[in-house]
Amino acid sequence: MMKYILLIAILIAGCKKDNYEKPTSVLTGRVVYNKEALGLRSNGVQLELWQHGFELFTKIPVYVAQDGTFSASLFDGTYKLVLRQGNGPWKNNTDSLDVTVQGTTNVDVTVQPYFILKNTTFTKNTTNITAVVTVESVNTGLPLESVSLYVGNTDIVDQVNNAGSVTVVPDISAPVTLSVTSSAPFARVGVKTAGVAELVYSQVEKLQ
Amino acid sequence: MKRLLIICILFMSCQKDWLDRKPRTIISDEQVWNDPKQIVALLANFYDRLPTETGLVDVSDAADGRLAQWRNMANYDDAMWSGQSNEDGRNNITSYNYNSWYLWNYTLIRDINLSLENIELYGKDLTAAQKQQFSAELRFVRAFNYFELVKRMGGVPLVTKQLVYDYSGNVTDLQQPRAKESEVYDFIASEVDAIKDNLGNDGSVSRANKYTALALKSRAMLYAGSIAKYNNLMAAPITTPGGEVGIPASMANGYYQKALDASREIINSGVYSLYKNNPDPGENFFETIAKKASNKEVIFVKDYLLPTRKHWFSYDNIARGIREDNLGSSSVVPSLNLVESYEYLDGTNGTLKIRTADNSDFIYYDNVADIFANKDARLYGTVIYPGTTFKGLQVSIQAGVMAWNSSRNAYDVVEGSDLGTTYTDGKLLTGTSGPHRSIQEVSNTGFYLKKYIDPNDKTSTRGIQSDMWWIWFRLGEIYLNAGEAAFELGQTGDALTYINALRERAGFGVNSLTILTIDRIRNERRVELAFEDQRLWDLKRWRMADKVWNGNASGADAMVYALYPYRVVRPGDAAHDGKYVFVKMVAPRFRAPRFFQLGNYYTSIDQSVLNNNPKIVKNPFQ
Repeated sequence: MMKYILLIAILIAGCKKDNYEKPTSVLTGRVVYNKEALGLRSNGVQLELWQHGFELFTKIPVYVAQDGTFSASLFDGTYKLVLRQGNGPWKNNTDSLDVTVQGTTNVDVTVQPYFILKNTTFTKNTTNITAVVTVESVNTGLPLESVSLYVGNTDIVDQVNNAGSVTVVPDISAPVTLSVTSSAPFARVGVKTAGVAELVYSQVEKLQ
Repeated sequence: MKRLLIICILFMSCQKDWLDRKPRTIISDEQVWNDPKQIVALLANFYDRLPTETGLVDVSDAADGRLAQWRNMANYDDAMWSGQSNEDGRNNITSYNYNSWYLWNYTLIRDINLSLENIELYGKDLTAAQKQQFSAELRFVRAFNYFELVKRMGGVPLVTKQLVYDYSGNVTDLQQPRAKESEVYDFIASEVDAIKDNLGNDGSVSRANKYTALALKSRAMLYAGSIAKYNNLMAAPITTPGGEVGIPASMANGYYQKALDASREIINSGVYSLYKNNPDPGENFFETIAKKASNKEVIFVKDYLLPTRKHWFSYDNIARGIREDNLGSSSVVPSLNLVESYEYLDGTNGTLKIRTADNSDFIYYDNVADIFANKDARLYGTVIYPGTTFKGLQVSIQAGVMAWNSSRNAYDVVEGSDLGTTYTDGKLLTGTSGPHRSIQEVSNTGFYLKKYIDPNDKTSTRGIQSDMWWIWFRLGEIYLNAGEAAFELGQTGDALTYINALRERAGFGVNSLTILTIDRIRNERRVELAFEDQRLWDLKRWRMADKVWNGNASGADAMVYALYPYRVVRPGDAAHDGKYVFVKMVAPRFRAPRFFQLGNYYTSIDQSVLNNNPKIVKNPFQ
């Protein structure tokens, strides 16, 4: 019995000395264009945090949630926040953003997407889900590839997680109408820029 | 006095060179580089370290650069994982990591560079011819490895000499930038041209000879040509400003011409011929890969030899019902996607006929194999499908029965909870080889792998194992390379000759194609070279991978499909009772669609490499 107590005592004592405190500060923020958070793919778009001055120099990946928000638990310190090149549905920008994390820190990352979605409305009847959306080109440089309507059974809906989809190559001078045969409860629209893997989405909407 | 004498003797025995003795445990440079046997042993080590995405073994030695993982065959759309459930992640790859297929094996490059220099420096007893041949062989292995690097990473630093640190505190002259992607391909071509006549090894399939080098050139130039062409046809070509990634479109035809010339030199040499030793085209295609004796098709292999040089591939992948061990089997199983890509012999689309034209009922088949009648014989040589035999044993593939329920005027689907079960009518319910929706080590798709499975007795046991060889190059691929290059150069007539020769061997008639499209050539490559580690790289160089594996769960290609056969139980209805029907579905154990993103075309470079060498630029999307 004594042996075990000693062992436990050593283990506990050992834990104190050589382990780091876990990080307690939190960096939160949003990826925004024109002060609006962009809708993205869950588990798709990544930001990178880098911290100079330590032997290990490697990125801390920060995934952006599908509503355009992100958060990371960090140690207090100075970091550089950069866009992962070619990853998000926006123009590449190699400029880094200096972020000083001190307790809870909030930072908005402004990006320049090629296309954004506006005035998305969904209607649902017994067999179909229909979306009407305005696609606006806000940066030229790459052409439009397609616009898609995705529907899903959970509120995570995107290119990968969906229960049905329809893709059209539209004329975006007028609002685009898409329709899919489905009775799934959640829907969102995404716009794909040619040559960019990720899409810009509208926020997920629960259909009545 | 006695002691004095001993001391005297001790002193006398201490001659001048008493401390200069040859070490017994260290081989000196002079010994190695003057002994052809030791150099050949070293070469064997270098050949063995050539990486492949799949292969037949499971090695992953990052320090040494050895890479081969047969399980990766289950990571794409030609197959899925049906083995032990602890590898089910292969059916649930939500997206390929940007560092997938990473390779940075400069350890091998350095060892080769060291050997090349030391043979010249120390090899005084070697004849000039020996030196020339060894150097040529070393350079072949190096060129092969640079091809493996460039197809994964894009342009990489072209290091052709040992990099030796001079302890000056300054390492900048050791830090080499990445070469252009085109420069690496040009390097491969010029190395092959320089060494091909010095290689010797005539008739060898496990050491490189002239035609092995030309086969490397044929494939590499085809890759370079198609990257030059198809990358620039993308809406937004993937490039870096320095050309480390991306090849100008103007270079496409030059590369295609080199690919065609190299392929023609092999085909017209008469050294190799398409394997046609078995009059049955299906068995013949299986033997093309499996037969080691009098096989004139094979150009370059990684060979194994029982009883010591062997692997587990047959143990892990043989069909469940005919396994010879009490464990293992069924790990990588072909998909319905692949099966349907094999055309019918009349040249029509290979989609299997499961439902009537108006989709109101099943199509009923007398025998379970009838649905596969008149298919491209390469299907038989590649895949074990219901109603076929392997090693002379019937492979029993049946998912269950469709029992007619007259009260609701429809079939009840009955599937066994175990394999080899019997239905209430005393006949078979679920076959000894499944398929089964959930049991591990049973096919989940209704098909089993045949290509690369050893047909010899007891080779699927752990005690004996298999010595099937892994094919790097064979003449069939060279025909396809020649056909594709000729087609891209507008020489459609020649292209048809090459493609039709392969189709004729597969059971099609003479000149079965008269019109050629690039899609047709691509499908020929898929069906001819399935499981030979080609499709991933083909889809990458055609820039089709992100379209085919688009991550869409409702898409046709990104999901892996299964085909489950059922026996119909409908007593009193002779038109249906005892016949077989088939159900197509997404394989039950398959979870996430294959998702290849633009950032997967060039594997991201490890941060430690970037940190060590600031001259290395990142890949796009990294």
